[in-house]
Amino acid sequence: MEKLYILCIEDQPEVLNSIVEDLSFFEEHLVIEECESASEAEEIIEELDAKGDLLAVVVSDHVMPGKNGVDFLSDLHDDDRFRNTKKILLTGLATHADTIRAINKAAIDRYIEKPWQSALLLQYVKELLTLYVIEKGIPYQPLMKYLDKATLFELLKKAG
Amino acid sequence: MQLTFASSIKRPILKQIFIYLLCFGLPILCVLLPLAYFPIPDLSISEQRVIAIFILAAFCWILEPIPIHATSILIIFLELVLISDSGWQWLRPAEDELLSHKEIISTFASPIIMLFLGGFFLAKAATKFRLDTNLARILLYPFGEKPKWLMLGLMMITAFFSMFMSNTATAAMMLAILVPILAVLPDTDKGRTGLALSIPIAANVGGIGTPIGTPPNAIALEYLTGDDSIGFGAWMSFGVPLALVLLVLSWALLLFIFPFQSKKIELKIKGRFLQTPKAWIVYITFLLTIILWLTDFLHGINAYTVAILPVVIFLATNIINTEDMKKLSWDILWLVSGGIALGYALDQSGLAAHLVQSIPFQNMSVIAIMVAAAFLAMIMANFMSNTATANLLLPIIAALAVAIPGIHQIGGINTLILAVALSASLGMALPISTPPNALAHATGEIQTSQMARMGIVIGLIGIVLVFLTLWIIA
Repeated sequence: MEKLYILCIEDQPEVLNSIVEDLSFFEEHLVIEECESASEAEEIIEELDAKGDLLAVVVSDHVMPGKNGVDFLSDLHDDDRFRNTKKILLTGLATHADTIRAINKAAIDRYIEKPWQSALLLQYVKELLTLYVIEKGIPYQPLMKYLDKATLFELLKKAG
Repeated sequence: MQLTFASSIKRPILKQIFIYLLCFGLPILCVLLPLAYFPIPDLSISEQRVIAIFILAAFCWILEPIPIHATSILIIFLELVLISDSGWQWLRPAEDELLSHKEIISTFASPIIMLFLGGFFLAKAATKFRLDTNLARILLYPFGEKPKWLMLGLMMITAFFSMFMSNTATAAMMLAILVPILAVLPDTDKGRTGLALSIPIAANVGGIGTPIGTPPNAIALEYLTGDDSIGFGAWMSFGVPLALVLLVLSWALLLFIFPFQSKKIELKIKGRFLQTPKAWIVYITFLLTIILWLTDFLHGINAYTVAILPVVIFLATNIINTEDMKKLSWDILWLVSGGIALGYALDQSGLAAHLVQSIPFQNMSVIAIMVAAAFLAMIMANFMSNTATANLLLPIIAALAVAIPGIHQIGGINTLILAVALSASLGMALPISTPPNALAHATGEIQTSQMARMGIVIGLIGIVLVFLTLWIIA
């Protein structure tokens, strides 16, 4: 069966660790992938796509050496293969212009400011994962524990 | 109505091999065995193959190695290849009468399927134009803010909606309303569990009310033909009172076991009725369809034909557009058609009659058979899809009913068929029993043991009420 991925991109190892720790809740059933740069993330994405696995949620920092977070997410947005992938920008240093680009060009789903609250990050990932799973038509029953219930009920209600 | 279940849960590899052997190995073995090995005299090759297909269907629907709607399509495919007049020529049994391939394929468009399609269109349009949420808001208003009355209101509305919409969509909608309520109730209030449990119970029970409330009902109609046929209104005349009594009893029981501590619950549902021309077309069509369903004795148009009316209107007015159409629950329709095809093969191959002849019914009490069949249906429905339960049991029960000598003692064929169909809706003891149960369990308010206790008690009360109802109408 295809695996579901959550990708975390952050150039500072200790910050990356704490993101991954916040999301360790999903580890049992999903793959949480850590990357220290956009280029590393792009490699991983190509690999998982080639295996037929699914990229559900990306949590990305903005200011990083090499390609920055907003550019990375914009490219991801333009890539038809990851049309349904949900994008979270996690940053403390984005300028006004970056933020505008993040919304207009990368169509990010959530914006979280650093320092962040673990519970909030967890909640957003749950909500976006629920949206991804329903949009993709993945059977939601086995994943129920990891999904946001309110979002799930709303989406199922609309499905009739 | 059901969604496919459990098909993608990870299982240990050995167990998986065992499951595949049971589901596919056993039927293959059954086809390869010489006819003499079967304890039925004069078995034909076609009948042997139908037995194999039936075994495959039973195991695949219970253990779900493949999605349950895929099993349905597999049944139809195997029937076409193995026992139809368009089957593989080297496999064609020489002496047997072959089944018509047209009849097998036409199960995809059987009147039952059309009835459900009409129901789907009504539900889709109601959801799209927020008729469901708005009705819920208005109907809940008179129940006030006292928790126990509010819960009764929620249950009544859930049951009412699930008579026309899918049980799953109804449960999802009502749980969406419930989530904000649960968030403000104190953690220590036992009523939280009661509230969360009330929704799936009401959704499951409400399905009993109409022929389109849940697929087992519609499948029962398939076997109630000629003098035994039941109209939409006639079904509701016993289905609704039965559902209502069971609902009120469940409500009282929930209140007794999970009493509320909070004195007041405030409910906020936003929105107002849409007033656009399209919305009005939805309201009027909804009403018109239900009126036509209930008055079939006046105009003579049967429920199946009436069901096509909302389909025509909503498509012509683009209320249901092509995107909406693609998102209908086609899997449910295919699941049901596989069941109809299975019943057709059992009947037409002569196997059903043949089997029934070889069982000595003279020595058995008709009532014992009915009670056993109803309990079997309820127990099976607890562990597998209600629809698949009905798909498997009803063709056999229908064949049995014709053959049992004392069937008139309990009011005829339809008493037995209805007992089984209605009992299939009473399997609700586990989170996996029905999709509404799974969704309610996902709220985290209910422990499996609490759900099991309530589900078993309500199932038993339900079966007693089913017998009582059937005794009254017989």
